[in-house]
Amino acid sequence: MQVGLKIWRFNSRTGERELQEYEIAAPEEATLLDCLDIVKDQHDGTLAYRKSCRMMICGSCGMRMDGAAVLACKMRMYDIAQSGHVPVISAMGNLPIVKDLVVDMDPFWQKFNSVNPYLQPGYEEPPDGKEHVISQQRMNVVHKEALCINCGCCVSECNAMEADPMFTGPQALAKAMRFVGDPRDGQKLARLEKLNGEHGIWECTRCYFCNERCPKGVDPRDAIAKLGAESMKEGIDRDMGAKHAKWFVTSARTTGWLRETELVPKTQGIVSAIKQTRFALDLARKGKVPPPFPPHVAKDVREARRLHDLVRDQGRNGFAGIVQGEHALARLAHGHSGTETLEEIYDRPGAYHRPFIADEEADV
Amino acid sequence: MRKVAYYKGCLASLSAKELDSATQALAPKVGLELIELESVTCCGAGDIHEAEPDYYLHLNARILSYAAAEGVDTLLTVCNVCTLNLRQANFMLLGDTELRARVNENLVAVGVPAYEQDVDVRHLLWEIAEGEGYELLKGAAHKGLKGLKIAPFYGCQILRPSKIQGFEDPDRPWSLERIIQACGGEPVDYPAKIKCCGFPIIQAREETALSELIQPIEQAYEAGADAIVTPCPLCHLSLDAWQSKLKKSTGRDFNMPILHLSQLVGVAAGLTESELKFKRHVVSVKPVLEKLEA
Repeated sequence: MQVGLKIWRFNSRTGERELQEYEIAAPEEATLLDCLDIVKDQHDGTLAYRKSCRMMICGSCGMRMDGAAVLACKMRMYDIAQSGHVPVISAMGNLPIVKDLVVDMDPFWQKFNSVNPYLQPGYEEPPDGKEHVISQQRMNVVHKEALCINCGCCVSECNAMEADPMFTGPQALAKAMRFVGDPRDGQKLARLEKLNGEHGIWECTRCYFCNERCPKGVDPRDAIAKLGAESMKEGIDRDMGAKHAKWFVTSARTTGWLRETELVPKTQGIVSAIKQTRFALDLARKGKVPPPFPPHVAKDVREARRLHDLVRDQGRNGFAGIVQGEHALARLAHGHSGTETLEEIYDRPGAYHRPFIADEEADV
Repeated sequence: MRKVAYYKGCLASLSAKELDSATQALAPKVGLELIELESVTCCGAGDIHEAEPDYYLHLNARILSYAAAEGVDTLLTVCNVCTLNLRQANFMLLGDTELRARVNENLVAVGVPAYEQDVDVRHLLWEIAEGEGYELLKGAAHKGLKGLKIAPFYGCQILRPSKIQGFEDPDRPWSLERIIQACGGEPVDYPAKIKCCGFPIIQAREETALSELIQPIEQAYEAGADAIVTPCPLCHLSLDAWQSKLKKSTGRDFNMPILHLSQLVGVAAGLTESELKFKRHVVSVKPVLEKLEA
């Protein structure tokens, strides 16, 4: 098949940037990485990109196609080439470019290292000569996080990191959850304390780009929510983000609806709220600051309160409350609605491109 | 007229009452009969999911149960965040019979009917971007938008994660553009239309949030938009109410009017100020209305 590619070339020494177009012949099963190899071997040896395993496990070939981070070795080009579209290939975002499609991963590794990505001792040792046996169910807590291959696709698109480069970011936080949720780790509380810092979990803006882009199904945003929930369960709730989250719980069990007007003082404290008085008055003039009295109370809110107390006593909060839904949500990720055929799943609006299927040529 | 359960959520109940009012007035024109749910609470807005996730699941199951009790198959939402929270909880329950049984047992224990009959959670945007809703919308939008340039702002959680939302391609969405065109407006394109408005952290990390918020406003401005339209009241609050704070950090006065989806379609359908309540906006919508009357 003929594949067209537009590649953003970049030279960090001179700062020169240029969009170059290539037209190559590639086998029908070619991935984006295969196509880049053909460009480099046969057309332009100066093109720079990273690669190693070619099978979605080393995490080297993260880059952007049409603005979205992908693993080049996972991206089949058949459908795109057939449609006549010429995709734009560029380096990942949120990391400095070294040359062409190669980014400097140093800031990435610094954040990765900052969460101490290894097991730390401190757990109770089993009796002499016994193995430390951990159930599969217990390890399922970190199953998704353990799939991370450090490719950086999530970091590339993180909206919070774009706004604040200091944000610890989805990859490092998902990695942190991999150890916070591991029963063999002895430093859970110390880890959570650190993760509640200025650039930690509460700086996540919930844009869900990380979940969308991750080529391995790690769902970093969900990992961050697990860290938040586990922090709150352990009573680590001093951050404004935690206080903000807690106020929603209080609102739901007292009036049912969010008590919006009290949210600012409950999150930021009275002093900061008073400093914002002028801003608040501007909003109040437009009815954007509903008076807290009389409160807007949902009908039958007593049920929501009793539900809260009942559920609390069942002790499934912290990360366990999120993990319990993963089995069902994984069925969505794998397209098992129960009634759809495989073809229907791939033809859903917004679904990933259909993989190349050899005997399907007749349909094209 | 198709009956759907209507979950308006916190903002449309309180600080964004204009969204509720415009939606209620618009619904019959696009073939929807709204059954307002009374015994429901906040969906948790992602915050309860992060604070007490098991409570989040139960609160949302309770909302789904009351929707199902109305004998309808659709729960209509008007907020990105409500849509994601409810759909996520719904899929957790639909995909795991054991979990659903436990949640139902708890619901019944506090006097809530068990969630038995499945409902689908759908945003108003999806109802009017295709199918019968879209056909009716085209007919209803008789007053039109006179070629106004409208910047669609999707926000995050109506697009991502797409395995839960799944209505359209999260990177190349088309629904708002299609509606803008059907209403006689001209959609303008800009990269930040699928990015974050900063709202979830606007109180805890205001500076970071404002660096996000400025992108759609600045880009829509540069693309020559007369207004931004959004399907989410949280994006609306962020873009409309916090817009003035950009002046301090950038020295620029943007004054970009922000419309709720129901208001944009409502204007084109000839709804009046008493229903659209533009006076509740922080950034004046007057320039837009004047262009329409000209």
